[in-house]
Amino acid sequence: MSMAIFHAMVLGLLRDRGALLMSFFLPAVFFVIMAEIFTTTSGESLQLNVVVKDELDDEVSGRLLSALQATPTLTLTSDPDLDRDAVRALVKSGAYDIGLIVRADGEPLDSAGGFGAAPLLIVSDPARGVAIPMLAGQIRRAYFSALPDVAMGNVIGELENQFLTLTEAQHEAVAEGLLEMRSEAEAGREVGWSFEDLLEQESVAGGESVNLVAYSAGAVAFLFLLFASVHGAVSLLEEREAGILDRVLAGPGGISIMVNGKLIYLVVQGIVQVGVIFMAAWLIYDVDVPANLIEWLVVTLAASLAAAGLAMLLATACTTRRQAQTVANTVILVISALGGSMVPRFFMPEALRDLGWLTPNTWALEAYSGIFWRQEPLTHLALPIGLLAGIGVLGWQAALFLARRRAYGP
Amino acid sequence: MPTATEQTTPPLLQLDGVRVDLDGRSVLNDVSMSVAGGEVVVLLGPNGAGKTTLLSLACGRRAPDAGRVRLAGHDPRTESSVRRQLGFVPQHVALYQHLSVVENLSVLGRMMGVARGDLAGRVAEALDWSGLADRARDRVGTLSGGMRRRLNIVASLLHEPALLLLDEPTVGVDVAARERVHELLRRQRSQGLGILLTTHDLPQATELADRVVMLVDGSVRLSGVPGKLIQDTFADKRELTVTLAQPATDPQSRTLRDAGLTPGRGGLTWYGAADNEHADARRWDDRLQEMALAIAEIRVRAPTLEGVYLRLTGEELDL
Repeated sequence: MSMAIFHAMVLGLLRDRGALLMSFFLPAVFFVIMAEIFTTTSGESLQLNVVVKDELDDEVSGRLLSALQATPTLTLTSDPDLDRDAVRALVKSGAYDIGLIVRADGEPLDSAGGFGAAPLLIVSDPARGVAIPMLAGQIRRAYFSALPDVAMGNVIGELENQFLTLTEAQHEAVAEGLLEMRSEAEAGREVGWSFEDLLEQESVAGGESVNLVAYSAGAVAFLFLLFASVHGAVSLLEEREAGILDRVLAGPGGISIMVNGKLIYLVVQGIVQVGVIFMAAWLIYDVDVPANLIEWLVVTLAASLAAAGLAMLLATACTTRRQAQTVANTVILVISALGGSMVPRFFMPEALRDLGWLTPNTWALEAYSGIFWRQEPLTHLALPIGLLAGIGVLGWQAALFLARRRAYGP
Repeated sequence: MPTATEQTTPPLLQLDGVRVDLDGRSVLNDVSMSVAGGEVVVLLGPNGAGKTTLLSLACGRRAPDAGRVRLAGHDPRTESSVRRQLGFVPQHVALYQHLSVVENLSVLGRMMGVARGDLAGRVAEALDWSGLADRARDRVGTLSGGMRRRLNIVASLLHEPALLLLDEPTVGVDVAARERVHELLRRQRSQGLGILLTTHDLPQATELADRVVMLVDGSVRLSGVPGKLIQDTFADKRELTVTLAQPATDPQSRTLRDAGLTPGRGGLTWYGAADNEHADARRWDDRLQEMALAIAEIRVRAPTLEGVYLRLTGEELDL
């Protein structure tokens, strides 16, 4: 008898194009948008638009700016007619992420280190503070790799200032060496040294973009799971208003077949919905779903059960569809914001991250991140999976209790 | 005296001394009644009389505070399997508007426990009963009000219940559609189905009822075969309705009561019995004018169930 409810829900969904789009197409589109944001703004590939004013406009500044221009993650725009205030205004308006001014009144680039003004001024907006270290890092890298003669010349100058005096012959040898370094650098060969030479990177998981896409897929999936589950569950209230519930309650199955049938439908709908999102993640962004299919299925089943149980609880606790939708929208938005479905949890302050553990979104994200980010086996995900399934079962049982109480009295 | 049907068939639904309290007041008080197979029992009563509560008891959705409810000899509240014997037609058209006629029947049949193997046959039968075979693939939302009402009823018959409860089954339908619903119900009754229906439609009650139960303020005030109720109330007299142009004063009201009239709600309409259509109308006209009462209408007609109801409750039913 519960499968009759399931059948009615499936037919209802197939007849309702709006609901079909809301359930499957919209979440996938939303996910792709989120994934695009993540992939284009992650540390690996974040693009900065830089407005540049070269007041110095000499050979050294030209070499530095050419090197920066060649950096893939920077897009430099320079206009001789700009002045400092214009650069500030452009950054403030958001037209550019950050500004760079090569000061005419600063220390010279090829003999910096004195007590005058720095030769380079970075103009930034606090709202895009992350752009400062990114540009500074690229300037440092360009300075040492494209201008090794200038960097080395500055060091030797400082050495002479502080510790020793070179002979004439040594000066000539240094000048010759620096010229050679410059030629090598201009020929595109690696010469000199840089701070980056001291560093080597090692990733403990897959590529950063793929990880963030997987995170985004889980985040979007659970958010829409909640919305779609509530949308399906409140049909119980429509059936009550239409009198269908009265008809069923007079039958042998009673209210249980209604609640159970809807729960089964919501779980199946949830698995398909999450499946569409992760299929997009696999096909478009190379998130390796096929290699983790079993793990994905177990987590998705638990997540769908949690969303379905909570949605049924809400539908049975509320008396009207409007009331249920209002409560649901508020609760879903709050727990999704706290739980990391809207903004990644690692961007949140610690207090909010701690609060997030009280939401099912966080546990769903924890489980999906475990699979696709940290490549953990299923056994390591027992806690989030168990909690999600537990939330689902508790919600279901509470919904049954409330529905029976409402239908048959205490 | 029990009717012939009651004597030969054990009751499908039996209420004995049932009392239901709600928010500190009795919604039903010492109600006893029964419905047997192959009979139509019509439950009449003004709004708030307890009709819906009585149906809830029969469906097992509510437990009585006192007394006993039995459906085919079992408690419908605690023994859910006995509810297979029951079909319930809600007052609303309780159908999925976005599904077709045949889809509705299939889904609702399975909800009521019809086995997959039997479903196609039952659906075909229901389409035949309702006269909707040629509209089987149409969505319910596109059907007329009368068609929906018929579908609403046959959807409750798919699991072949022994007793059908109907809550206002013809509200808002035209005369032709109502007649088709009656035809459907008569056909089911002839096949042995017990029917308990609530209605405000007194002509419908007269036409369909084998027995009528009149509930007023939670109590059964009259119960029996319509013809006998009319006979008991009016004997060989006619039904008299006096409508005043303005309410009677207290002394005038006392006089009217002494003359055997019952006031309706609002005090403008009074109900009673008359001996002879024309002579009595003239006699009442003279008498009321003597009492200085302004008369809007005096009506004397053959007694009806409506007259019984009006004399009992003083309240007209909304049609």
